[in-house]
Amino acid sequence: MRNPMRRSPAALRAGLAGVLALASGAVAAHDPVFGLGPHVLYKGGFEASLKWHEARAGRERERELGLELTYGITGDWAAGIELPWVRVEDGGATNSGRGDIQLFTKWRFWRRDGLGVQESAAVAARVSLDTGAGGTPRVGTGATDWMLGLAYGYESRKWYRWASVRWRRNGDRGALDRGDRILVDLVGGWRPRLSGYLEPDTVWLLELNGEITRRARLGGATVADSGGQEWFVSPGIFWTLRNYAIKAGVQIPVRSDLNGAQASTDWRALLVLEGHW
Amino acid sequence: MSKRHGILLAALLALPLAAQAAGVRYVMRVDGLACPYCAYGVEKKLKAIEGVERVDVDLDRGLVVVDAREGVVLTEEAMRKLMKDAGFTFRSMRVERPDEAAVAGEPAA
Repeated sequence: MRNPMRRSPAALRAGLAGVLALASGAVAAHDPVFGLGPHVLYKGGFEASLKWHEARAGRERERELGLELTYGITGDWAAGIELPWVRVEDGGATNSGRGDIQLFTKWRFWRRDGLGVQESAAVAARVSLDTGAGGTPRVGTGATDWMLGLAYGYESRKWYRWASVRWRRNGDRGALDRGDRILVDLVGGWRPRLSGYLEPDTVWLLELNGEITRRARLGGATVADSGGQEWFVSPGIFWTLRNYAIKAGVQIPVRSDLNGAQASTDWRALLVLEGHW
Repeated sequence: MSKRHGILLAALLALPLAAQAAGVRYVMRVDGLACPYCAYGVEKKLKAIEGVERVDVDLDRGLVVVDAREGVVLTEEAMRKLMKDAGFTFRSMRVERPDEAAVAGEPAA
């Protein structure tokens, strides 16, 4: 939970759904489950992903069901939209509704191909529109947020590795400056069996995800119970068959250093069903 | 039967089969083919070409094999662009004609 501040105004509380949607980035099968990868979509290709994720932190729990649609503009550039529906629980209170609609794009600006190997780098941008249902507990962040990311990936028949960094610019909500966030990811992947083109294919992943959040400011004053950092170890898997994929992972917190009285994340999980045509 | 008669007989027997299998095979070397899911774009783009009947992808050897009807011409320039649009790198291509190989008394590659 990004800012589940018990002693701060309710206006400071931000839905996990918006956080997680920005954190996971555009979903592409052969990219990390939680981190950002450089993968795009072939020119003229169309990809649809149905994703479910859930997060728990203390008394708070959020679930999100999202539909993500992506189009390959060129062989190195893709763009799309995500449509989320969110359910939030905070103690005994619940709320659900439309989440913040996301628009995203990714441009792979560098690629080096070898026999059975592809190494590449991409920049990504995402905007989270203030379309959430609001209410209490809040669905959506209540502001327009931006994300810029840089990702590197190495993909071979047997081994994968990725590294990425993202900066999320959180929009202000009235007098509240919500505090920007930096996300860093290191990921390794392993294909235990080299499958043929028409065979089921399995890759196991292990991610290290870090989130560093600046303190929030309200009316120019620093909010004590805000900001800090959390680190996760995240095992995952992707399983594909031709043009269909299933991707899943869980984030297990290994270090939490949040300022003031904030509930640290208990765990997060993500499941994706995806296909491209 | 002499060896020459045997070869001639084999060629005559193979002619009807060659006629049925008339067509052309393109074998392309492509780099960047690391995963099956990613390679689907190659298959889709190739099958969109009129006359292409079959596409096979060998990920370990970096080969894309296309069987097409006779008369279908795939140029290196077109394949370079197609592979780029699919997100990979075209390296080379060779053409194999099973009917010509059969008439010569040699097994088709």
